[in-house]
Amino acid sequence: MIKEAEIIRMALNGDQSAQTELVKTHSTRIYNLGLRIMRNEEDAEDVLQETFITMLNKLQQFSGKSSLYTWLYRIATNIALQKLREKKRLEAKISIHEPDFEALRGSQLREWPEHLEEKINDEQFRNCLSVAMEDLPENYRAVFVLRDLENLSTKEAAGVLEISEANVKVRLMRARLFLRDKLAHHLKCVGETR
Amino acid sequence: MKHQHDEKIMNKIAEQLGADFNAEVIAEVAEHMRECPDCKIYVDSVKQTIKLYRVTESEFSVPEDVSDRLFKVLKLDNR
Ligand SMILES: [Zn+2]
Repeated sequence: MIKEAEIIRMALNGDQSAQTELVKTHSTRIYNLGLRIMRNEEDAEDVLQETFITMLNKLQQFSGKSSLYTWLYRIATNIALQKLREKKRLEAKISIHEPDFEALRGSQLREWPEHLEEKINDEQFRNCLSVAMEDLPENYRAVFVLRDLENLSTKEAAGVLEISEANVKVRLMRARLFLRDKLAHHLKCVGETR
Repeated sequence: MKHQHDEKIMNKIAEQLGADFNAEVIAEVAEHMRECPDCKIYVDSVKQTIKLYRVTESEFSVPEDVSDRLFKVLKLDNR
């Protein structure tokens, strides 16, 4: 098997089959990253196309210090966040509440039902999960997607987003709490009608 | 009953909640959760949330038409 560095060198020299190879190797990951951040197929396709157009145009700027996929993640994430910001320009600004563990101070804590995984076939429940992600502001959503869904390390995510590792950790915590609270709310509603 | 926590343990819990999904529970947090069922429920529910997303947001393969359009835009031959 030829090493990726060699394929990149060939692609830079204009070898089309090497370029195709790079696109094929990374397109699934980039498409899924786009889907998870953008939340719809059309926008995910735009992110996919723009990412690889950028890759082919700027490949000579890839230093090889990081792996190609984290470099591509950075390009794709920037494109996705830019798109989300453009979309939101006309909408009211939503700001995330500062989670201060409010639930821990109140008295509403209740154990979640067991075997929640079984509920994921329930359309209403899936919808709730999806809406919560859509409601999560993009800066937090990107961190959650990169860390918890794409399994990037804190360091890698920090590199992709060009923020500090401490910042990644804080945003990840807030994103998780935001989603958790939305879900808790939904589960409570479900409980009442049972 | 009012739930009181000092800043030190709150910081540790926050640290836990920003850590790797599979990371080991920080010793202080584990110890605290043994005495504080509310915190245990809370931390567990965050873990459950992440787990649910990891299950529902499974990976899709790139649809054929999407892939065709991609290679067309890039002017590359998709053998
Ligand atoms: Zn506690």
